[in-house]
Amino acid sequence: MNLHLADYLIIIVYFLFVIGVGFIIKKRIKSSNDFLTSGRNIPLWITSLAFISANLGAQEVLGMVASGAKYGIMTVHFYWMGAIFAMVFLGVFMMPFYYGSRARSVPEYLKLRFDEKTRGLNAVSFAVMTVFSSGISLYALAKLLEVILHWNFDLSIWLAAGIVMIYTFLGGLTSAVYNEVLQFFLIVLGLSPLVIVALHDAGGWSNIKTLLQPQLTHAWKYMGHADSNPMGINFMSLIFGLGFVMSFGYWCTDFLVVQRAMMAKNMNAAQRTPILAAVPKMLMPLIVVLPGVIAIALMQPALASKGFVIPSDSKGGIDYTMTLPSLISHYYPTGLLGVGITALIASFMSGMAGNVTAFNSVFTFDIYQSYFIKNRSDRHYLIVGKMVTVAGILFSIVTAYIAKGFNNINDFLQLVFSFVNGPLFATFLLGMFWKRTTGHGAFWGLLTGTIAAALTHGLTVAEGKGGWIFPLFEIHSGMGQAFIVAGVSWVANFCTTILVSLMTKPKPESELKGLVYSLTEKPTYHQNKWYLKVIPLGLILIAITIILNIIFF
Amino acid sequence: MLKKLNNLGFVIGIFFSIIALILIIGGLLSESLSTRLNFYTGFVFLVFGVLMASFSKDGSPREETKRPE
Repeated sequence: MNLHLADYLIIIVYFLFVIGVGFIIKKRIKSSNDFLTSGRNIPLWITSLAFISANLGAQEVLGMVASGAKYGIMTVHFYWMGAIFAMVFLGVFMMPFYYGSRARSVPEYLKLRFDEKTRGLNAVSFAVMTVFSSGISLYALAKLLEVILHWNFDLSIWLAAGIVMIYTFLGGLTSAVYNEVLQFFLIVLGLSPLVIVALHDAGGWSNIKTLLQPQLTHAWKYMGHADSNPMGINFMSLIFGLGFVMSFGYWCTDFLVVQRAMMAKNMNAAQRTPILAAVPKMLMPLIVVLPGVIAIALMQPALASKGFVIPSDSKGGIDYTMTLPSLISHYYPTGLLGVGITALIASFMSGMAGNVTAFNSVFTFDIYQSYFIKNRSDRHYLIVGKMVTVAGILFSIVTAYIAKGFNNINDFLQLVFSFVNGPLFATFLLGMFWKRTTGHGAFWGLLTGTIAAALTHGLTVAEGKGGWIFPLFEIHSGMGQAFIVAGVSWVANFCTTILVSLMTKPKPESELKGLVYSLTEKPTYHQNKWYLKVIPLGLILIAITIILNIIFF
Repeated sequence: MLKKLNNLGFVIGIFFSIIALILIIGGLLSESLSTRLNFYTGFVFLVFGVLMASFSKDGSPREETKRPE
């Protein structure tokens, strides 16, 4: 793939704009809250698009196109089953606690609801996860640019990290969020022509359905048994593992996305942020799943004349990760090629900046201010926040080089993340809806859930992974294994939290107002117009999601 | 004009208008049929950019922080 002047020009314009946004926002940064939490005054349309953009990083764009090629239309489960319901739940039930408690972060909510040790456990694990995620995003970007454009690996790392550092250092969270919105439009508008042209070239959806195996064009029909579908999982594992544990664990408790809703101007906007974000999320498979399905159709013998191929990996199989770059290279002429490459770069930078801004908030508020230096001036914490931003980027660069040296570190880190994230939703669910839940219960529940996840992974093996204690059970696919690990860890956390809570003393009710559902006055501020009410909006979204599942059943 | 730069919608609109001009000019200068795609996409980007820059409401944060109701 060779770039020309117009392509480079587009990439340079993009870099100038994202840095320019940092300089524009810099003038508004006067306090640590402005820098780390945006001062809770960002308009609804921006918080909603930022909410979805925070999840539109490299893994999302490249990974979902790759999954579309590998698993077919079943990949939509990550959206329609694995996102919409959880986003509606977050907006309707959980945002009132996050926003109403005035907590500046998810770990701080845990401190208010439970105790300091639960907050500390969550804050440290989250900070480590975000900085490693950011580094992996950086590594993947540099690797991709090295493979498809033959750019120097080191130069790509330092250039991308340098640009993210400039705009996050200057404008903090607001700058990152504004750029995320720009990146959202760039990714959607930059990849839309690709879908249209490739779909037309493949003869339309009806032709694709005749060319591909039916397992690749139906979302549910072949999920009765794990052997009968390409994902290797049955519908029960999917619904509980992905649709409940992993989905709610991510969308409802991960500070990276929740932080975007917490920036809203008021409670009404905070509740509607994830619900409005669910609309583009519902349509996102058109941009990131459909191209993968089209790519596999284009490789069928009947369409061989189109000349499209996805390169092979080192083992001789299809290198699914290269599906999107291959489509861009095949269909985009000079100019649009620059737009496509810029969209890819934007997705990586968006993922990295999101992680870094979440990291600096949690580190500054929940670790530094809580455990190291308390009661200093706001200016002190603003400077610390900026220094932590730089440190976060430097740690990311180090992680990127570690990932370069150890091929398996990405898999290992993703695994550790699932151990930590999997059980977390049980803690929040019990904490928000059962006033008897205690701090000791939450802490030991989280620890037990994480250990249960590690044990399950160590006793199961799938596609050669896991089974490091003893390969007791074999699972059809790695994805099925991830769902089972998440499910077991959730149940372990849920049961342990209940048991320990029943044996320990709960907080008095007076300390739980605004933190627990039964002790919190329900918001009545948006009861006049139906489109301002979160429950009708949520029900409409769920109804549309069900209809989409039926259409692609 | 400078005040408008505080408006995110305006900034996004300008960005897409510039990208559109690069695509359209590139499409017009080339005789290749494949670059028609550049032209059409550029036109759509231009329409989006102009609409975004013209009609977006002020997306800049206010000075004061609103309290949750």
